[in-house]
Amino acid sequence: MNKISKFVIAHRKTVILLTLITTIFLGYFIKDLQVDPDILNYLPKSDPVVKLSEYIGEEYGGNLLAMVAMETTDLFTPSALKEMDLLSNSLERVEGVTSVTSLTNILDIKGDDGLIEIGTLVDLENLPVTVPEFQELKEYILGKNLYQGKLISADATTALLICQLQDHVDKVKISKAIKNEVEKLKLEANIYYGGLPFYLLEISDTIIRDLKALIPLVSIFIIITLYLSFHSLIGVVIPLLSVLISTVWTLGIMSLSGIPLTIISNVIPVILIAVGSAYSIHVLNKFYETKGTGVENAEYVLQSIGLPVILAAVTTMAGFISFIFGSYLTMIQQFGVFTALGVFFALITSTTLVPVLLSLLKKNPVPKSENPTSDSPFSTKISNWISLRKNLIIAASLLITVISIAGIPRVQRKVDILDYFKPDSSIRLTEERIMKEKFGGSIPLQILVKGEIEDPAVLTEMKKVQDFLKSLEHVSNPFSIVDLIMELNAAMGEGQQIPDLTEKVSNLWFFIEGEEIVSQLVNSDKSEALIQATIVYAPMDEITGLVDQIEDFILKLDSPVCTFAQTGMHSIYKNLDNSLLQSQLQSLLLSLGLILAMVAILLGSLVGGLIGLIPIVFTLIIIFGFMGYSGIPLDIATVLVASTSIGIGIDYAIHFINRFRQELRSGKNSSDALRQTLQTTGKGILINVITVTGGFLVFLLADLVPLQRFGALIALTMVSSGSASIFILPAIILTLEKRTRIFSAPRLSSTIKKGIN
Amino acid sequence: MMRKTCCILLLIICLTFPLCPVLKSQELTAKEILEKVNSLLNAPQDQKLTLKLVLIDKNGQEETRELIMMQKGKDLRMGKFLSPASQRGIGFLSLPNDVFYVYMPAFKKTQRIATRQKSGKFAGTDFSYQDLGTQQYDEKWSSRLVRAENEQYVLELQAAKGNDTGYSQLILWVSTENFYPLKIEFYDQHNKLCKVLTNHKIQKIAGYLVAQEMEMVDVIKNHKTKMFLEEVEFDTGLSDEFFTERYLSR
Repeated sequence: MNKISKFVIAHRKTVILLTLITTIFLGYFIKDLQVDPDILNYLPKSDPVVKLSEYIGEEYGGNLLAMVAMETTDLFTPSALKEMDLLSNSLERVEGVTSVTSLTNILDIKGDDGLIEIGTLVDLENLPVTVPEFQELKEYILGKNLYQGKLISADATTALLICQLQDHVDKVKISKAIKNEVEKLKLEANIYYGGLPFYLLEISDTIIRDLKALIPLVSIFIIITLYLSFHSLIGVVIPLLSVLISTVWTLGIMSLSGIPLTIISNVIPVILIAVGSAYSIHVLNKFYETKGTGVENAEYVLQSIGLPVILAAVTTMAGFISFIFGSYLTMIQQFGVFTALGVFFALITSTTLVPVLLSLLKKNPVPKSENPTSDSPFSTKISNWISLRKNLIIAASLLITVISIAGIPRVQRKVDILDYFKPDSSIRLTEERIMKEKFGGSIPLQILVKGEIEDPAVLTEMKKVQDFLKSLEHVSNPFSIVDLIMELNAAMGEGQQIPDLTEKVSNLWFFIEGEEIVSQLVNSDKSEALIQATIVYAPMDEITGLVDQIEDFILKLDSPVCTFAQTGMHSIYKNLDNSLLQSQLQSLLLSLGLILAMVAILLGSLVGGLIGLIPIVFTLIIIFGFMGYSGIPLDIATVLVASTSIGIGIDYAIHFINRFRQELRSGKNSSDALRQTLQTTGKGILINVITVTGGFLVFLLADLVPLQRFGALIALTMVSSGSASIFILPAIILTLEKRTRIFSAPRLSSTIKKGIN
Repeated sequence: MMRKTCCILLLIICLTFPLCPVLKSQELTAKEILEKVNSLLNAPQDQKLTLKLVLIDKNGQEETRELIMMQKGKDLRMGKFLSPASQRGIGFLSLPNDVFYVYMPAFKKTQRIATRQKSGKFAGTDFSYQDLGTQQYDEKWSSRLVRAENEQYVLELQAAKGNDTGYSQLILWVSTENFYPLKIEFYDQHNKLCKVLTNHKIQKIAGYLVAQEMEMVDVIKNHKTKMFLEEVEFDTGLSDEFFTERYLSR
């Protein structure tokens, strides 16, 4: 460490220059950074359900539905129908929309008296004229369950226009284009938007709005707390500068490598504020403690604090890198990589730029009134209290741990995008009032059928599956080519049923061949077909139950003539849900293992390593317990909290243990060593806790629910791992130290330390 | 007599000389050109065709259909599918005033169809029922000669009031040499280009000009249909009996 410190300080001009150049260079590229809130782009390509969904998207013209609902007092008036047609045509012209299904363009098959009529349901060229004629049209449309509850509500006040979107396109951009197009029309009717593409648009808007509003607030809070803690401008500027630079580098590299910011990685800057600021705060704290100035002092600061800072950063990185393994969503892997990178950059700036800048200071800006090395009554009180009440502290924390553990089984999991919005948000209200109540949901469900589709036996099996879907609680509007064939058969005068001969099916096909709707339901060589349905927004366990029920039915059907495969957002949600838990456990165990190994090596003792893990484990238990009791679910955002807590918790423990050992080795007894550690490192930890906790509590004001939850949980993490390090760790160390002297004995670690130096 | 010969000679020179189209465009109005096109396309009394239709989807996947078609005058049309096997025997009959019948062999039934939408697709091809009929570029369209270039007239046809073809505008490229349409662009009700027809291998058979190959591309769906004229007979004196429901179901 000595050599590195000397080297860094000796080349201080180079350090400043290099940092400046790198920051300008990478900062320039941030302008090209893309934002991609679409989680569908990050699903694992290896998952059969995802593969099938993508296949259906490509083969049948988009598996994503953007829904535009039009509400008016009565749809069956010339003006309302004209408006609907205008809307339908305008939507069709939006770039990226493959097709629009509405009452004014859907293919209708009508048969009576030896005459088959095939054409658009509501033909604008031949609109009814008289009121009874309109009534007749209304009754006809509402009487067909192909339309009622699918394209028009039972009360005839709301019509749905279903837009299929192209695959592999920017859904947010298309959704925005759709909204713009609709606004331009200045329609009389009320318009509502539903379906995943609009939710993604809303998320991306809300994220931007939230971050714009909250980041300044967070920054102001942090600036004030830092100023109050260090009583100097330098104390504010340096930690923020370090965080800012590492954020710029990280985002710049993301942009250069063409990786967009996602709904998860947008919290990277926030995490860097929480985690990254700690490194420079500790360097700064040490610098203030020494009261010295100039090159030598900066070298000394780096020598003494460098190793724990490096270890803290490396362990934190290990926590984030653990996300690379076993994450279902590739965006979580990306998040892991780039957060680890950001932490690494925070480490680099804290150990190069920060000491270099400090070495340039003419005087140490510690106010004369404060003397960090002398015992302040506060830290003396605390350390005395800890020494005295160590058993109470341990007992209390055990109690908290037990209570929290009891809450863990209550932790729910939620992966539905709609959970991102508050229950009273317009998007949730629209989903409830319009999509769910009137149209049976907006989440598409698809079942791919493989077999000779023209074979009546296959059609019959498909009908069975559709009938089963109809019987399920949350499923609506099952639809397939079977419905069209049956309609045509009825029109041929042979009843609303599947024809008995393949030849008949082939003949009927002639009527609808080449129609848009057919290409959405059957592939070109008629060896595959699609059964479509929609699902309402429902709790995850019910959605999971639904997937299993359908799977069971298909399995039991065990058709000899065809196969069925289920996919759709609900199936993907189910897999995402399963993977959340698995990925959480996997990354937790992995990072805990990595960290245990590192701390054990640092202390040269496995017991020491285990003790170092105490603040982390304590915090993790509290977090999950809190999530259980408060109803905060494990979702794709909160799944990140645990690793962030590990990163933060281990930092505190390392700094604390490192300082405590230094004090013990310098000959102090354990209570003096504790007092001194609390006075110095403890203060650093406290500053970090207060700054970051306050900063994250600001996120409770966010509109986006995951951001709120994330803020609350990180704040809890800070308080919990901070107090675990300041109270529980010393209480345990004091209890153990008398017997084992783990911490005062210069064991293996000193050899390693020499090695590093 | 001499003057007449001179005139004919001059006309022949004009027809063959490359610069002539420009001259002619000043002479012929859009209406006159269309009249020539109409009379050319409607010249045969009747025709009996064997057609091969190749449907090509956006992935380049092909499907083939074969049918025989009989046509008499402007309004009478009858067709029967020969292949694929699943459609063999399906027949259709188109009579004046939008009367359209389909015969379904599997049901042994003739059914009258009202295709409310004229632009509806015919048997999965990119031709609508409308496109399939004999083209009449008459009072349904108001025409304008845009320019003459590369031995082609470019005509713009705007749908006149009451036009029920389903198109708002057509742009025709007509050969200055023989007045056969070489290419037609179809614009939908929203004035957006939707389909492009090109005629290839235009030859004189039994005294009539016919395109032996036609290609209709749906530019929106990126789907196309190639139509190959495999056999054709003209003026065989088809009787009206062929164009009846009774004959259709035979």
